[in-house]
Amino acid sequence: MFQVGDRVRTRLMNPAGHTRLPVYLRGRVGRIEYLLGTLPFSDQRAAGVRSAKEAAYTVRFSTRDVWGADGDAHGSVCADLFESYLEASE
Amino acid sequence: MSRIHDMGGLHGFGPLEIESDEPAFHHEWEARVFAINRFLLRAGWYTLDEFRDALEQMPPAEYLEASYYERWLFALESLIRRKGVLDVPGR
Amino acid sequence: MSHVHEASGSAANRVKTLVGALEDAHVLTERELDASIEAFLSRAQPANGGRIVARAWVDPEFRRRLLADGNAAVAELGIDLAHWAPVKLRVVANEPGRHNLIVCTLCSCYPLALLGPSPAWYKSNAYRSRAVRDPRGVLAEFGTQLGDDVEITVWDSTAEVRYLVLPQRPAGTKRATEDALAALVTRNGLIGTALV
Repeated sequence: MFQVGDRVRTRLMNPAGHTRLPVYLRGRVGRIEYLLGTLPFSDQRAAGVRSAKEAAYTVRFSTRDVWGADGDAHGSVCADLFESYLEASE
Repeated sequence: MSRIHDMGGLHGFGPLEIESDEPAFHHEWEARVFAINRFLLRAGWYTLDEFRDALEQMPPAEYLEASYYERWLFALESLIRRKGVLDVPGR
Repeated sequence: MSHVHEASGSAANRVKTLVGALEDAHVLTERELDASIEAFLSRAQPANGGRIVARAWVDPEFRRRLLADGNAAVAELGIDLAHWAPVKLRVVANEPGRHNLIVCTLCSCYPLALLGPSPAWYKSNAYRSRAVRDPRGVLAEFGTQLGDDVEITVWDSTAEVRYLVLPQRPAGTKRATEDALAALVTRNGLIGTALV
């Protein structure tokens, strides 16, 4: 479980099936913004499998951490991500 | 890297086409597609995740060409085939 | 344009076939479909967003509840969010120096049950690809210019959360009634491509 303010890094992955972790947010560092409780895990449910619920979080990424110098100087992108997409980051 | 639907950050799609006084649907068939999907989702024939998975399996070149509700129609047809909705006995 | 018409012509036929097959299988009837869409469209309208925003502008306590728990606050106004699956409504507030913009890069997630179908541009490849990398450019195409010092947060609705922007109350509306305030709110304002 993560808490609001925790720094997290999204995992690198390239699954063949449905996932809610967009390519542009893979391997990126952000901060937990909001706890969404638990939700049915979409990646599993998309395959027609009865899925367990999983914790989900709104994670805030600075645009510079996503797009480098091509990003807005002080904007951010928030996305709603499942716990299994995330690992703790210093 | 992913399926074609995952387009956040891509370049090259040009400016937005913004309609003023846009109707909820542009064709009657679009409203029907919307309604069929709503009905089948609510009746539990499939989940929204399965519907999205079906959308994402549209061949990439077709996906990019298709209008929004053409994509939905593709997904509906493929789910209905796969789920055997049409083989079921009456309610 | 001609290929668009051809494409929608054949789509119309495919839908006709599909409805016929569903009727034959006694899954649903065309009449039920039309009734359900009519009922849905009469309930789910951008005006719902206007009501919510106007209440939040005149009632700071409601605003606090709305930002804390969108579903519960909207239920107070008698607005039903049930659509095809339970979704969480999260309302994000614009403030001086802070602007919010909603997108769904993977699909087209949108508070449908509240506002009705989203505009075509919201579902377009152009919006879905650009909103997260160039929000200022996107806003400029709507004629919405923000100062360089305004911090923009783009909310990519990647899970079962539906976002709604709470715009800032326009200046000079101190005496406006709640109904008049509600009428100022546009669908684009609720997505964040317009200021109100």
